[in-house]
Amino acid sequence: MSERETVLKISHLNKRYQDEGNPSGNILEDFNLEVKRNEFLCILGPSGCGKTTLLRCIAGFEEFEGEVSIEGKAKTEPDTDRIMVFQDFNQLFPWKTVEKNIQYPLKQQGVQDKQTLQRITAEYLEKVNLPGIEKKYPHQLSGGMKQRVAIAKALALKPKIILMDEPFAALDAMTRNRLQAELISISADEDCTFIFITHNIQEAIVLGSRVILMSKNGKIKIEEQNTIARPVTPASEGYARMWTRLHDALEE
Amino acid sequence: MNRSKERLHSILSQILFVVLVGACWETVAKLKVFGTKSDLIFPPLEAIGRAFVTNIFNLGAGTSFWVYIYNSMRLLLIGLVIGIGLSFVFTGLSMISRTFYYIYNLVVSIFDLLPGVALLPVVIIIFGIKPAVIVFLIAHSVIWPMSRNILDGFLAVPVIYVEAGKNIGLKGVRLLTGVYIPATASYVISGLKVSWARAWRGLISAEMIFGIAASPGIGFYINQMRTNLKNAEMYATLIVIVLIGVIVQYGIFAPIEKYTVKRWGMSK
Repeated sequence: MSERETVLKISHLNKRYQDEGNPSGNILEDFNLEVKRNEFLCILGPSGCGKTTLLRCIAGFEEFEGEVSIEGKAKTEPDTDRIMVFQDFNQLFPWKTVEKNIQYPLKQQGVQDKQTLQRITAEYLEKVNLPGIEKKYPHQLSGGMKQRVAIAKALALKPKIILMDEPFAALDAMTRNRLQAELISISADEDCTFIFITHNIQEAIVLGSRVILMSKNGKIKIEEQNTIARPVTPASEGYARMWTRLHDALEE
Repeated sequence: MNRSKERLHSILSQILFVVLVGACWETVAKLKVFGTKSDLIFPPLEAIGRAFVTNIFNLGAGTSFWVYIYNSMRLLLIGLVIGIGLSFVFTGLSMISRTFYYIYNLVVSIFDLLPGVALLPVVIIIFGIKPAVIVFLIAHSVIWPMSRNILDGFLAVPVIYVEAGKNIGLKGVRLLTGVYIPATASYVISGLKVSWARAWRGLISAEMIFGIAASPGIGFYINQMRTNLKNAEMYATLIVIVLIGVIVQYGIFAPIEKYTVKRWGMSK
């Protein structure tokens, strides 16, 4: 498969909420976007710019006008080809152990063999650096661990796209940095496209192979390939310039 | 340390209270405060104790006390299963069809206010004086509070679980059984407790109103003792009724909670 293949295409997406205090009611106006296979797209924007709504439209959680298509097929309903990782730590089912949380969706997909299920669970828990926590219940885990399990659960399903809605926003800075580093190495290994929403400039530069900056009504203000050599640190060549550019655009 | 002290405090004060009440009872009984009626209202504790032991160890003549308990528990269990089963079916349908939800909501509100015993005359005409009447009353007393709790629980299911469920491809019945029902566990359990209590009361009341020759139960037994002025036996039976309630609470509900909502961190 070539790098250039388009996995997600959004054309003329319109989304409005009639009842909100929003004068025009428009959250997204004629939004267009193409995402290539195995890209790590970071979408940066201030609160209320419509970035979460955009992600929810892609996931199929919202009704919208326009078209969202995955590999050429129009999508309006949630499905396992696009898995959402939420910001909320409580996205795992509390009534299932970590292992069952990961295996349940796989079983729904028809994977029934116990050994296969166990192998997949162990493999993905290993990837998120949480080996051996299979039998724990979510309430016994810290916030960072829950997010890692949620990522492992998403990866195990082998979706075409993982949608991440500020999954690290509620974590402390140290845990956040560690999870960013883990996510970078995971995304390098996996044949998966990531769309990651954040309002943190550092996070967007460190993670994204492409960065988009959204402003009101989902207008794309900046769109650029991230050419900074990986791993990206604040000391990397070009980091400061990119940070300033994004920062200034956010401030406007 | 502090917790064990508190525990000791609660146990000691409860024991003290029970002993005091017992002493007062015995004093009133021995002094025959209520004259000739005294033995009926306050039979001496030793008489109640003797009746209790006689019943439990089956020392008396006639039908064994356990047969009454068995009859009651059997009908209770059938009624509970039917009531709980139906409430899952109907609340499940309510989640699938909006129209059904609106109608069922109304039905639950209406029937929840209707005591089962008030329906007795009609139910007897329908079923005749048969165990089915008791089963019907128990199912009736279970289904509405249970449904109300499940419906409230469904409405309180966090959106994130529902979306996470839809995201992994769950729809319709599978979304119901995979997300809505487990996420509602604490509501279901509190519904079970309310239902059990109502069913238990409904059962005893119905049995006291009419006895079914084919299947006499505890309520019927109490009524028989009353008719025969055997009030010590009657009190002894009341103790059994309370004990059964305690056994169900600690022997059934507590373990259910321990292995579900408490284990899942959904309840403290």
